[in-house]
Amino acid sequence: MSSINSTSLNLKLLLIGNSSVGKSSLLLRFTDNEFLSDEETAATIGVDFKVKSIELDGKKYKLSVWDTAGQERFRTLTSSYYRGAQVYDVSSRQTFDELLKWFKEIDTYCGEGVVKMIVGNKVDKEFSRQVTTDEGRAFAQRMGALFVECSAKTKLRVPEAFEELVRRILATPALWSKTSATPSRRSEPIKLEDDSWSSGGCSC
Amino acid sequence: MPTELPYAAEAETSLGYEELQVLKTQYYKEIEQGHVTTQSKFNYGWGLVKSGSAEYQTEGVKLLQEIYSASPAHRRECTYYIAVGYYKLKNYAYAKRFNDLLLSVEPENMQAQSLRTLIDQAVQRDGYIGMGLIAGAAAVTGLIVAGLVKRSRR
Repeated sequence: MSSINSTSLNLKLLLIGNSSVGKSSLLLRFTDNEFLSDEETAATIGVDFKVKSIELDGKKYKLSVWDTAGQERFRTLTSSYYRGAQVYDVSSRQTFDELLKWFKEIDTYCGEGVVKMIVGNKVDKEFSRQVTTDEGRAFAQRMGALFVECSAKTKLRVPEAFEELVRRILATPALWSKTSATPSRRSEPIKLEDDSWSSGGCSC
Repeated sequence: MPTELPYAAEAETSLGYEELQVLKTQYYKEIEQGHVTTQSKFNYGWGLVKSGSAEYQTEGVKLLQEIYSASPAHRRECTYYIAVGYYKLKNYAYAKRFNDLLLSVEPENMQAQSLRTLIDQAVQRDGYIGMGLIAGAAAVTGLIVAGLVKRSRR
């Protein structure tokens, strides 16, 4: 652990998943503690980016979170950023079913050993839930990914999701030890599904 | 706690040489085949705009402006990347013009809001270097002057 004492470690996270599952909302909730309604938001163009410093067990970490467009037309563009967390929408079956597609992207563009997290977002829409918690957890287990259900709208488990991801990355020194001297450009994919399922955080 | 905005990720990060080559190869392959898809052209234009070379950025803006005119379906993202391209080229008047266009349709767009702040900051810092480049002779004169200024700084 000696290498992370001097300067705060810079960790890169990536949010991926279908359109409208709440990747940008999750990030905005995490970094600015805000939530915007549908009317107040615009679909992400290409890639957006936010930085947030967090303290975990007395140590500081700088998280660079890359927020990607979920739309198909940006697929080639966003692939160049790979390494992150997948998100799906628990109230949208399709966004969960297509998580597999996002895992393929990770396999294609990330090295081995990235930390992955599946995030089922929008649990505030419990009444229209289409993906059960058990289903989500089982899938994550099968894919070797962390799993969390949260709501960017109500703030439920949003900070916890990012913290868990960071803890797992820290427990995988191979992901950051070599590059700890210079802030690492590695990213952790997070996949988001709407209503759903998002997975977050793989560090490649 | 607010984040360290403004920041335009797409303006700050470049592709690797090989990544850009992939997009370029695809684009030129389609030209040879006689049919260029908008997606390939857009991808290459995007990669060029993101590059660190003014020459590439200019070429990228040109490609994106062609798509902008030809394909209304791609107008939204083209507008944004054209604005990013002009911003990187320090042509702040044009950057602002295209970014404002996007903001007029999507006032809530945070990427465009962020880019607007960046442009405004750059204008305060550098002034409207590109202001004279509106049209015709003025544009040519402006370019030459700008070129000379650049060279004399070196």
